[in-house]
Amino acid sequence: MIATSGLTKRYAGGITALDGLTVEIEPGIIGLVGSNGAGKSTLLKILLGLLEPTAGSATIFDLPVATRGIEIRELVGYMPEHDCLPPDMTATDIVSHLALISGLPRAAARERTAEVLRHVGLYEERYRAIGGYSTGMKQRVKLAQALVHDPRLLLLDEPTNGLDPAGRDEMLELILRTGKEFGIAVIVASHLLGEIERVCDHLVAIENGKLLRSAPLGSFTERTGTLAVEVEEGREALVERLTARGLRVAVDGPAILVDLVDEAPFDIVRDTVVELGLALVRMEQRRHRLEDLFRDQPAAAAVAAAATARPTDDGPPASAR
Amino acid sequence: MSALPPVTRAGNIYDLGYRRYEGPRLGRAHAIRSLLVHSFRTTYGIGRSGRAKAAPFIFGAMAILPAVIIVGGLTIAARFGFDRQLDDTDLIGFDKYFSAITAIILLFCAAQAPELFGRDQRHGVLALYFARALRRSDYALGRLLGFMLAVLVLILIPVFILFVGRVLLSTDIAGSFRANAGNIPPVLAQAAVIAALYGGLSMTISAYTPRRAYATAGIIALFVLPGIVAGIVISIGSSAVGTALVLISPNTILDGTNALLFGGSLPEEYFFISVPTWAFLVAAVVEVAVVVGLILRRFARITI
Repeated sequence: MIATSGLTKRYAGGITALDGLTVEIEPGIIGLVGSNGAGKSTLLKILLGLLEPTAGSATIFDLPVATRGIEIRELVGYMPEHDCLPPDMTATDIVSHLALISGLPRAAARERTAEVLRHVGLYEERYRAIGGYSTGMKQRVKLAQALVHDPRLLLLDEPTNGLDPAGRDEMLELILRTGKEFGIAVIVASHLLGEIERVCDHLVAIENGKLLRSAPLGSFTERTGTLAVEVEEGREALVERLTARGLRVAVDGPAILVDLVDEAPFDIVRDTVVELGLALVRMEQRRHRLEDLFRDQPAAAAVAAAATARPTDDGPPASAR
Repeated sequence: MSALPPVTRAGNIYDLGYRRYEGPRLGRAHAIRSLLVHSFRTTYGIGRSGRAKAAPFIFGAMAILPAVIIVGGLTIAARFGFDRQLDDTDLIGFDKYFSAITAIILLFCAAQAPELFGRDQRHGVLALYFARALRRSDYALGRLLGFMLAVLVLILIPVFILFVGRVLLSTDIAGSFRANAGNIPPVLAQAAVIAALYGGLSMTISAYTPRRAYATAGIIALFVLPGIVAGIVISIGSSAVGTALVLISPNTILDGTNALLFGGSLPEEYFFISVPTWAFLVAAVVEVAVVVGLILRRFARITI
């Protein structure tokens, strides 16, 4: 569906947002993960023809981004990361206006506007000015305008930004339904792996403008499961004993992080703590986080960081936090 | 949020299902037309809040007022049987009406042009437009033409009232129509020049100045300052620089095209001008072309 080859974007001022990114993406719900500044938004904008790449090329549905932008944008819906709605228009007015701009006749624009606003869960509010909306409602309108012209691919840039936990759940549910029931391919860019892994079936991880990994979700979760253990004292002894028993262990502040390949580590940790007579403060299964993903791939992360050679001291992403 | 519990809501949506859109996609011309209509409506606050309507309708009323007073005066005169004399009296002729409402057109442009390009940039709406199936230049032209059309309507409504009033109040309606009909082409032409020049210049300022207050101040300065500078230069006695300024300043260009189109001569204060009046029309066309180029350039380069 999407193929990029050596895609590079350098902004004036020497910042490299994308650095020779080569990746192929097949339809489905795809999570595009990376920390802030990894190049996610830049990639989406290049795919839409909003930005020109410094080097490299990309195609969507076999149409080259550089020359067939209008045809591509007819097939793609885009939800930007930042505010993009005029506060003095109603949801109905802006969405149906944008449907007209996408080429729909007036009657069809009105009809589809009503449908997509109902789909995203906006009812009576859709006749009120957007200026009075909550962040959650604005995010829904942004999603609705991306859907109104019936695209075959949705590009969503941080769709859960600024939402409270309940709002996040609702937005993720919406994305899931859009992808599964509507059969529209979706690319969700996010820096929160724990969130998008709930809806995606494929993950593309980028860091410093380079591809870190592109794989089905399953292969990520296997590797990123983590058990966090905290004891009052005797941490070193515990680490030593666990390592001796064949577990992969890392120290993160006061906690010991144990890789979860299967259920076995729970029992091993419990038994070891008892054997050593330690006071166990906490033992919890961590939400998968982006950092875990990168900790698994120290080599790739280090290479990415070294290759960009930015004059900053933020180092490999895994150690930044 | 809706009062419906989430479960019911999800059920509703599931039952309705998602329908693909199989109908036609009308392409870029349709997009430009839609932007034009939307710009026109936005300029007059149609479909917007009462506050957004206030400025355009106040300026509209001010532009119409002189025409209403003239037609009202003619009506009263007709009742007292003075129509024969007044029919031939030019209280304000078509050629003079435009300069009478110039200041109002200027204020209208200064207040309303930032509502379009400025608003789209301030609120990030450009990203939504540029992510759709049109070119950046399509967006810019749709917005610009819509605003020019709005200015044209502001100019033409009072002239239309004036025309209809004169013809209908005359004792000899058909004869009066014939007598006044000759004014129609120059009136339309001059109105088009004003709309293109004022609309284009004010939209250029608002394209490059997203902040509303700065754009409004900039538009007023652009229309007023060159005329003042021209006056100073002339009083010093440099007629070459003065001529150049007169051919750049929008207000003086319009005086020139007015003289050309209505077959009159330049007002007395232009005694130092030795160029023919058609040079003003050329100046107007060049200036509009430059302005359109600047607007297209702005939106071709802007990053979002």
